[in-house]
Amino acid sequence: MTNRLVFLLTSILLIAILAIITWLESSKPKAIALIPALTNQPEYCLTCHNGIEPVSAAHPTEVFGCVRCHGGERLALDKDLAHSTMRGGRNPSDFSVVERSCGGSECHSGAAKDERDHIARVMTSVQATYVGAITNVYFAFGGQPDQKPRYGMITVSGVDPMGKAIKLIEPPKSENQFLQKFLSNCSSCHLNAESINETNYHRLTGCAACHALTNSLGSYTGNDPTVKRSESGHANTHTLTAAISYSQCNACHNRGNYDLKTMTFNARADRPSNRQQDYYQPIAQFTKCEFELDCVDCHTANEVMGDGAIHENKKSIQDVQCQTCHGTLTTPPQTRTIQDVNDVALRRAFLNPKVPLAVGDVTVITAKGEAMWNIRKAADGSYRQIGKINGTIYDVPLVAGSKCKQKPDQQESKYCHECHAVRK
Amino acid sequence: MSRPSFFHHLHPPTIPKREASFTYNLGLGGLAVFLILVVGITGMLEMFYYVPSIEQANASVQTITYLVPLGWIVRGAHYWSAQALVVVTVLHLLRVALTGAYKDRRFNWLLGLMALGLILFLNFSGYALRWDRDISWALLVGTNLIKTIPFVGTVLYGVVVGGNQINSATPARFYAWHIFGLMLPAFIILVWHLFQVRRDGGIAHIAEARKSRISRDELVGRETFVALLATIALLAVSVLSPPAITPAADFASLPDNPTAPWFFVWVQELLRLGDPFFFGVLIPSIITILVALVPYLIDRSSSGVAVWFNKEGRVAQWIVWVMLLVIIGLTIRGALR
Repeated sequence: MTNRLVFLLTSILLIAILAIITWLESSKPKAIALIPALTNQPEYCLTCHNGIEPVSAAHPTEVFGCVRCHGGERLALDKDLAHSTMRGGRNPSDFSVVERSCGGSECHSGAAKDERDHIARVMTSVQATYVGAITNVYFAFGGQPDQKPRYGMITVSGVDPMGKAIKLIEPPKSENQFLQKFLSNCSSCHLNAESINETNYHRLTGCAACHALTNSLGSYTGNDPTVKRSESGHANTHTLTAAISYSQCNACHNRGNYDLKTMTFNARADRPSNRQQDYYQPIAQFTKCEFELDCVDCHTANEVMGDGAIHENKKSIQDVQCQTCHGTLTTPPQTRTIQDVNDVALRRAFLNPKVPLAVGDVTVITAKGEAMWNIRKAADGSYRQIGKINGTIYDVPLVAGSKCKQKPDQQESKYCHECHAVRK
Repeated sequence: MSRPSFFHHLHPPTIPKREASFTYNLGLGGLAVFLILVVGITGMLEMFYYVPSIEQANASVQTITYLVPLGWIVRGAHYWSAQALVVVTVLHLLRVALTGAYKDRRFNWLLGLMALGLILFLNFSGYALRWDRDISWALLVGTNLIKTIPFVGTVLYGVVVGGNQINSATPARFYAWHIFGLMLPAFIILVWHLFQVRRDGGIAHIAEARKSRISRDELVGRETFVALLATIALLAVSVLSPPAITPAADFASLPDNPTAPWFFVWVQELLRLGDPFFFGVLIPSIITILVALVPYLIDRSSSGVAVWFNKEGRVAQWIVWVMLLVIIGLTIRGALR
């Protein structure tokens, strides 16, 4: 009898463990498979991230999926394993991994002549290299003999679109205490540096620094159920955009100033509530368009993301001047009629939901010929600008025919500001 | 009493009571047979999903683990029964050595030792089939050891690995070794080993105790009970401690620390001492040969059969102890690293 009892109890134990296994099996989440057209391999990320936003119209989830950009273990339903091989943590566009995530000749490492070399180009931009600040500070404090660009926060070597060799190396360590302080205190202000982890400073790194919009807390407000809403370090939603509102630029460009005497960053504590009054440069003057429009309404892709050449400072790549849109007393703005269906301006406008552009449209161009595709010359000879973020239409007044008394050789903004600056 | 079933017929009608007791045989041989059945059946189930290719090997193990219904528990049972098999087989060898059960059963001692060797290589090939980062060092080091063997090393390496280095053919090669090249001989030797026990007169026993015997009904009952306990243990361990899986192996960027599977940690420790052929191939071979020679050279006596720590077998017992303790000591040393 005792033998039978032991057998019975053991059998009950076996049934119990089988019940536990059945329960564990049935409590597993239902796996959600996605087979993106580009990889044609099933991935199960959506099992947990069900509800996450598609990245953009140009990156449909059913074509790209998750793994093509993020890496990771596509089949694992265990968080740690699934995430263990992700590129750049949450951010595959960090410059340390961007070539593998966003690169490839079919994607963002295409031919320079088609302006599909986004990654190579942005690596040369002043925002990525910080070359302007480094060059000027190194020159001013005796770290280099002239103002030729030598050092960058990322190393660059290659050839620019004009065929000229370009090279930037890491800034050398210096005995000079100013330069030492500069490198330790002031070298975090470039695209691939982590942002200050405080309200209003949040942004991601790499491409996402600009193209993934962040809110003031750096928190996620999208529909991915796995992301903690209280956590910083996230984009607002899991989306990339070319319609970058001024608030994203402000995360860096309106958050304080460097003090060259002490080589420290003087952060501002407030959040600008009024673009007109809360501009970060106390002495700066500006006109209405500079605080009413979004930055990208006038500043072009080549200015912001680089044109493939090394520029010694911001000024040398800032192609857009007042006269670009407003002309001079004697000349109207330069324009170009979009004729080629492969024109890069059409591609850029296609990504923007607010600005229609078609072959035959006449757009204003910069001195270097880059189309400002949201600024058009109408058939009646007038000029109109369409806001890239909100679609607002503005009339662009011309200098020619106005009462402006500018001198032909005084076209810099400071001369325009003498009359047109808005009182704070 | 009903007519004996197929399972009853696999057993002799009666077996000696003393030697059938758990305190004598520790149930190790029977447990090993049960574990082999479990590992075989779960392995067959895994074969439906496992894909032995560079691209798919690791992915298919992840598929089994996360996506196949109950795949995780099948994989868990396969893994843990394979690990348990190593321990149980070694303990079985120790029991046979310490009770002098090898006496006058020299050939079956060799068969058992061969089975142990095959079980170790089956475990190693199974480990490699996971094709993840954690196995990459062991696979590299383990296969490179083959190259160090004089004269035949290079050829043997090609036979095992399927090329002159680990390549896209290697998963298929290891799969073939695991399922066919090692499994088939292991199965044959297992059956032969069991047959040989019967041929040698059943479980080794003291002659005078022959009168007191138990029936096979009793034996099958005990075996069933042990199998039941083993099933519970295997499932519990599989639930509580599922086998590891890491991202796919990349032999271009190996992990920082070389790791061996636990049953070869002692070889890894030996390798740290110097020349890979001497320490990694020769010494393990000498240990194996020494153990193999126990009933041939070290203890040829016929007395002391089925007696724990019998006097006649002292030297043999010491040799097996020393070999085992060296291996355990090296394993602990490696584990503490």
